[in-house]
Amino acid sequence: MSIVEVEEVSKIYHQGKMTFKALDDVSLAVDKGEFIALAGPSGSGKTTLLNLVGGLDLPDSGKVVLDGNDYSKMGDGQRADLRLERLGFVFQSYNLIPVLTAAENVEYILRLQNVEKAERIERVQSILDEVGLQEKHNSRPDELSGGQQQRVAVARAIVSNPAVVLADEPTANLDSKTGEKLLEMMRVMNEKRQVTFIFATHDKMVMDFARRIVSLHDGKVAGDQKKDE
Amino acid sequence: MGDYLLAWRNIWRNPRRSVLTILAIVFASGLLVFMLSFQFGAYEDMIDSSVRLSTGHLQIQAKGYQNRPEMHKVIKNPDRLLGKVAALDGVDAVTVRSEAFALAAGARRSRGIMVSGVRPDVERRISSLPGQIRKGRYLRDGDVNVAVIGALGAERLQIDIGDECTLIGQGRDGSVAATVVRIAGIFKTGIDEFDRTTMQIPLSDFNSIFSMEGGAHRIVITTKALADDRPVAAAVRMMGEASGLTVLTWDEMTPGLRQSIELDLIGGIIMYVILVIVVAFSILNTFFMAIFERTREFGVLMAIGTKPFRLVKIMLLESLAMTCVGLLTGMILGTAVTLLFSYYGIGMGESSELMAQYGIADRLYPRLSPLSIIIGPAIISVVTFITALIPALKIVHMRPVAALRG
Amino acid sequence: MDLVIAWRNLWRNPRRTLIILTAMVIGITSMVVLSALSRGMIDGMVDNAINNLVGHIRIQDPEYRVDPSIIRRITHPQQLLADITPLLPPGADIARRIKVDGMLGTSREHVGVIIVGIIPENETGISFIGRPVHQGRMINPDESGDLIIGQALLERIGARVGRKVVLVSQNQEWENVSRSFRIRGTYRTELAQTEKVYVFVLLPVLQEMLGVGEGVTEITVHLEQGKSGKDDGLAELVSALNTKIRDSGYIAENWRQMLPAISAYLEMYNGYMLIWFIVVFIAMGFGIVNTMLMAVYERMREFGLQRAIGMRSSRIVRMVMVEILLLLLFGSLVANGFSLFLIKIVFGSGIDLSLFAEGTEMWGMSRVIVPALSLWDLYTANGVVLVLGLLVGLYPAVRAGRFTPVEAMRHL
Repeated sequence: MSIVEVEEVSKIYHQGKMTFKALDDVSLAVDKGEFIALAGPSGSGKTTLLNLVGGLDLPDSGKVVLDGNDYSKMGDGQRADLRLERLGFVFQSYNLIPVLTAAENVEYILRLQNVEKAERIERVQSILDEVGLQEKHNSRPDELSGGQQQRVAVARAIVSNPAVVLADEPTANLDSKTGEKLLEMMRVMNEKRQVTFIFATHDKMVMDFARRIVSLHDGKVAGDQKKDE
Repeated sequence: MGDYLLAWRNIWRNPRRSVLTILAIVFASGLLVFMLSFQFGAYEDMIDSSVRLSTGHLQIQAKGYQNRPEMHKVIKNPDRLLGKVAALDGVDAVTVRSEAFALAAGARRSRGIMVSGVRPDVERRISSLPGQIRKGRYLRDGDVNVAVIGALGAERLQIDIGDECTLIGQGRDGSVAATVVRIAGIFKTGIDEFDRTTMQIPLSDFNSIFSMEGGAHRIVITTKALADDRPVAAAVRMMGEASGLTVLTWDEMTPGLRQSIELDLIGGIIMYVILVIVVAFSILNTFFMAIFERTREFGVLMAIGTKPFRLVKIMLLESLAMTCVGLLTGMILGTAVTLLFSYYGIGMGESSELMAQYGIADRLYPRLSPLSIIIGPAIISVVTFITALIPALKIVHMRPVAALRG
Repeated sequence: MDLVIAWRNLWRNPRRTLIILTAMVIGITSMVVLSALSRGMIDGMVDNAINNLVGHIRIQDPEYRVDPSIIRRITHPQQLLADITPLLPPGADIARRIKVDGMLGTSREHVGVIIVGIIPENETGISFIGRPVHQGRMINPDESGDLIIGQALLERIGARVGRKVVLVSQNQEWENVSRSFRIRGTYRTELAQTEKVYVFVLLPVLQEMLGVGEGVTEITVHLEQGKSGKDDGLAELVSALNTKIRDSGYIAENWRQMLPAISAYLEMYNGYMLIWFIVVFIAMGFGIVNTMLMAVYERMREFGLQRAIGMRSSRIVRMVMVEILLLLLFGSLVANGFSLFLIKIVFGSGIDLSLFAEGTEMWGMSRVIVPALSLWDLYTANGVVLVLGLLVGLYPAVRAGRFTPVEAMRHL
């Protein structure tokens, strides 16, 4: 059964008098536990697709269903609740709240979920250790390197046990070695916890790690390639 | 607690900006605490001086005496009322006064004057006049045929301590009343009108000169606190002995005093509200800035499932925390400055002469009260809350995708 | 060129500029409008006092002020009038009066009054008694037995127009003289206390009653000018008059000497206004500094770049100061326009305080406050804003000049 279903989705942006078709009749199904990259040059519609999957935006036509929930039938608040419970996000940059420490950033989402304090602390501790930040629990974002910041972002995305983690160019601001380590870590999470990862990227390395690559071009699916290990 | 922590840390993300914002609030609230204490102090002084000098907090009179004081409008049995009123809760002191207009004549000059018959021993307790004797002495119990007179009146009549003064008037029954009194003391209250037109003589003399036959014009009551005036008035009105008489509170006897206080207070409040609005616009930019520079952050928070309402709450917490810090600091500073001035007083300089005409002393002492501490900060918190709400509500319309783009 | 750049920079973030302009406009408007209102209030107080039979200049016996009796009189006023008239500016009105203490008696009671003998036609434009009567009519020169009393006194003694009353006063031999008069009319003034005190009869009648021939107790001069702020020259005029009449033994005084309490308050008044201006400025000063700080921090990169290509930091400071100057000028321009609109149109016919009539009366204020814009208030309010505004503006400007290229480039 698919965890994400995208059916005949189109999305048009208006900029002044210009209209721009970001997605044109795109369909896609993602199964639970996949590690999938949406690839394509900038402007190909991959970030738009990721946003629609995340329920941050709604399509102009077609429908997006996450774990059986059809976004078009939900209000803003319900979609926010669904994101909170079932999704994790990692962005290219500015992922973290600058005034909160690494641990507090991760803990924040558990607070939103009204998790008990003792449990929160325990889960935050263990996930930060898991992403290799044993020493950095109480550091503020500006005291962390770019790679460490992205690890905190991954920890935050994972800590709430989501069904799907959406990652938009998570490695774009990192050097290749740091990026590779981050991706390895995400792969481990993917395998160990059976969390689905969907990337939007034009980074070759991410595509190397992905087990399925969906290529987008001018808002259309140009290719869908599964790799066999 | 998480949201509170977040809000608090965000304030100190840009300390310079926050400190300036807080200082604006400190300034406004401190100033308002001081100014209101100052005004309230002046009002209380004015009321107190008027009450002490002339009206008392309450008076019992015959009907119609207040508007047209005529000799025959008397309280027939003042003594029975006196005893009952004195026993009431909240009553500090009670006395009897009667008044008559008379022609006063010195050696050569003569002029009309208000002669007031008083009980010297009680007046010493409730009136400020005995303390304002500039020359000679105040009346004493047992004095016969002596008087105290205002300085300006004495000047006009060209009489001094020990001089004799002839009084000619009309008694309660319409008969001619005449006597000669010796001036024992000259008082100066600073209120020209009062100092020019007033003379006091012992009540016993007054009663016999003006044939009062036991009647009196005013029963003057002072209460322990200003706020006791209405309860005591209500209690007096319930008494059977008071039927056919009227009970007046100080503000009914001197409506100008109450109205000018109201006028001054309204004027003051208008000025303060304008000031607070100016402060509000001064800090509105800070609140807007705090939101716009964090648009991406809000985008991330919304993406991970934070609802906009919660972000509004965080922003409001942030603004309110700044306001509270400002208000508290302002209240403490304002209180400290007020206490300092309420100890040393504030000289009125050249205005004191004008102020004296209204019974205001030449040094004013601000009076701190819960009300004077609360009103200003209350106005400020309402206005700043609205100020904070305007930008914070912008978050409600923020879309996560647009916010993430910054 | 700098001005154009500064102006455009100001409007890069229109909302921010509009917000701080709003603060400034409200602030400056409140300075100007409230000062005009309170100036109007003071003018009203002064006018009321002057019209209350004081006048701008009064000539009388030097002893009269402490001993206002008929022996302290000007025995030959005609001579004095001939002396002073040439010295007076055009438009000056002169009135002669007798003012003495007395009593007014009805069949039931007596009240103390001040009896004023007037020549009715001379009082027009000089004092409240020159205005139309409230009830009845004015006394005629050929009706020697008539008097005008205040409406409040009429009510106080429970009489009606047409009733007879007795006036008692002392003549120069210290004998009480009395005479019966018929109430011909009543007057109203701003102040009920005045209505209760002054009663008016014809001057010749009072002269005859007191046996003083031509004598009067005062000669009052009412000038066309004479508001609180506009009476320069009054002191010089009075000293010229005094030089002229020195030999007569009488003295001339201006209203400031006769009303020391109000004059003293007027002296302090500008100080009170200045304090209010500064207080309002401080309230908006925080906003001006904060807004300009935001604006310069936002442009840190830009300033760094300009430094990098060789601009001196003093030039950057100057640019920011020009921006602040424009902001202040624009704000005060709008505020002054708005203030004029409020003063002339909205409050043009005055603010009616009749609800607090007894309160305004206690302070000798008029019941209707008509705003009076004085140039001093206008200049001072705007001056405070400009001078202090530029002063506090130095902080963000100097801060902008201190951004180094390196620091600026690192900044987002």
